[in-house]
Amino acid sequence: MSISDKSERALSIDELLQRNVYDVDDEPHIIVDTEKCLKCRVKPCTLLCPAGCYTLSPDGEILFSYEGCVECGTCRSICPMDAITWNYPRSGRGIYYRFT
Amino acid sequence: MGSIPTRFDVIVVGAGPAGAAAAYHAAKRGFKVLLVERGRGAGSKELYGGRIYVGPLRDVWPGIEKEAPIHRWVVEERLSIIGDGEVATLSYRYSNPVSFTAYLPDLTRWMVSKAEEEGVVFVDEVRVDSLVRDGEGRVIGIRSGPDVAYASVVVDAEGANRLLLERAGIVDALDAKRAPIALGVKEVLKLPKGAIEDRLGLSDGEGLSWLIAGTVTKGIPGGGFIYTFKDTIAVGVVVHLGHSVNAVEAGVLKESVKDLVESIRLHPYFKRLWRDSDIVEYGAHLTVECGLDYMPPHLAYDGLVIVGDAAGLLLNLGYTVRGVDLASYSGMLAAEAIAKAHDLGGMNAENLRVYENMVKESFIYKELVRHRGICWLTKERRFFTSYANILLGILSNLYVQEFKHPTVFEAVKASIRSGGEALLPLIGRILKVVREL
Ligand SMILES: Cc1cc2nc3c(=O)[nH]c(=O)nc-3n(C[C@H](O)[C@H](O)[C@H](O)COP(=O)(O)OP(=O)(O)OC[C@H]3O[C@@H](n4cnc5c(N)ncnc54)[C@H](O)[C@@H]3O)c2cc1C
Ligand code: SF4
Ligand code: SF4
Repeated sequence: MSISDKSERALSIDELLQRNVYDVDDEPHIIVDTEKCLKCRVKPCTLLCPAGCYTLSPDGEILFSYEGCVECGTCRSICPMDAITWNYPRSGRGIYYRFT
Repeated sequence: MGSIPTRFDVIVVGAGPAGAAAAYHAAKRGFKVLLVERGRGAGSKELYGGRIYVGPLRDVWPGIEKEAPIHRWVVEERLSIIGDGEVATLSYRYSNPVSFTAYLPDLTRWMVSKAEEEGVVFVDEVRVDSLVRDGEGRVIGIRSGPDVAYASVVVDAEGANRLLLERAGIVDALDAKRAPIALGVKEVLKLPKGAIEDRLGLSDGEGLSWLIAGTVTKGIPGGGFIYTFKDTIAVGVVVHLGHSVNAVEAGVLKESVKDLVESIRLHPYFKRLWRDSDIVEYGAHLTVECGLDYMPPHLAYDGLVIVGDAAGLLLNLGYTVRGVDLASYSGMLAAEAIAKAHDLGGMNAENLRVYENMVKESFIYKELVRHRGICWLTKERRFFTSYANILLGILSNLYVQEFKHPTVFEAVKASIRSGGEALLPLIGRILKVVREL
């Protein structure tokens, strides 16, 4: 994988996450009660999750995907509605950092 | 944990710099130690900025300078203030380095290998789900799924995101609006051979540490950082999380935190430094902004001691972070305290609180108290916006003139006026900032 224009343009979150090594768990380690999100006005998770795991669907619903999660814990600390049941991935799974 | 014996003298949860040190020193003192880590191998969940002060680590890890996977010794510090189209940079070079850069996953792996040499039983891929307590509330072991392991004392070294302490009811559930926590987001860029030396004016093995203030965090308390490694450069930002939420609520922050890092990487002033580089990794981690405010009510309970980030033992001075060295040092103190408690007759809270006293008498706590003012500073939003602009304004008034240059005093006055600040209160505040630092 060698793309030579990468330091010249902004990368999408997916392009950034592709650089990482993961062993993605078969079941999600974070569960979001998206019913509660409907009443959440600001939805800070959509901007503050560094892995872009929280996105808005065209009709304004929260879509959560755990696969790119880097297990930082931000979302659990900023959610105003208590909508997130948070855990680390099961033993050994998830992000595998090498140069950090 | 099925195949390993389930009774130990000491169980350490979390194989970071704090847990590895606690395990190593406890084993050295003859205790039977189990070190448990959720990641695959040690270090695989570690992400930090990039520079570690060696002083305290010499006591904790004999031989660290010769044996550890050190990349570069920092001989140059830079501080840049970024405005819209303007940059002011201060640089300081010295010849007796006191800190080095290293990949924290590698360094942690080295620490754990040292612990294993002392006889520590290290098990990875075990996520501890809770502390096990007896009828009287004493911690007597750990649970992971259906498995339980017992010990006379458990060392909690789980880091800043303290799920276990929360579940045990020792600390409150993490809430960005109340807890002094920040999010660090980082990219690692791999450069062509020799590029770091050529572009930054460094010799072989020399490193540079670079802090960035100003518009990079959109006025959110925090800043950017750049650290040099063997053939990579780390670029990142740290933002205070409570203020980040406020900024989203106020509509000030409209982009994702990853765009804050991208805007440093793509900033015209910086991007030439990593021309032709490959991004090889991207990640994020929580950190503690103000250690004293993050400390649990006690650092020791019946059958439990708390070390490292989980104990709030991190010093964030804004221009530099001291976490790895303090974490490891606290792990060593915990092992000493466990030995003392053992001699005193057992691992009850009363005996284990010698650890609390040892921390309070050590340089760690003294430094945390001495720099307490920094906590005020991280809450001072203005410091991160208008002061930076005023400084850039002064420089602009001084230098960017076609015919008539102002005196320094005129330049300062004009810049402060356009920043909407009154001169005297501003001087008072700046003095306060300097005093606190
Ligand atoms: C962005 C950023 C920049 C930083 N920059 C610097 C710097 O330049 N210099 C510096 O000295 N410090 C820096 N720090 C701080 C430093 O990284 C920490 O202070 C240090 O890593 C704390 O060590 P620790 O052992 O207490 O915790 P951690 O390093 O967080 O280790 C905790 C370990 O416990 C494991 N664990 C957690 N929960 C469980 C569980 N339930 N079961 C099993 N295992 C578990 C984790 O996987 C991890 O391995 C920075 C931090 C961040 C986030
Ligand atoms: S912050 Fe919480 S409640 Fe709001 S959208 Fe995100 S997950 Fe849902
Ligand atoms: S833990 Fe961090 S990376 Fe994972 S979903 Fe939450 S905010 Fe995103």
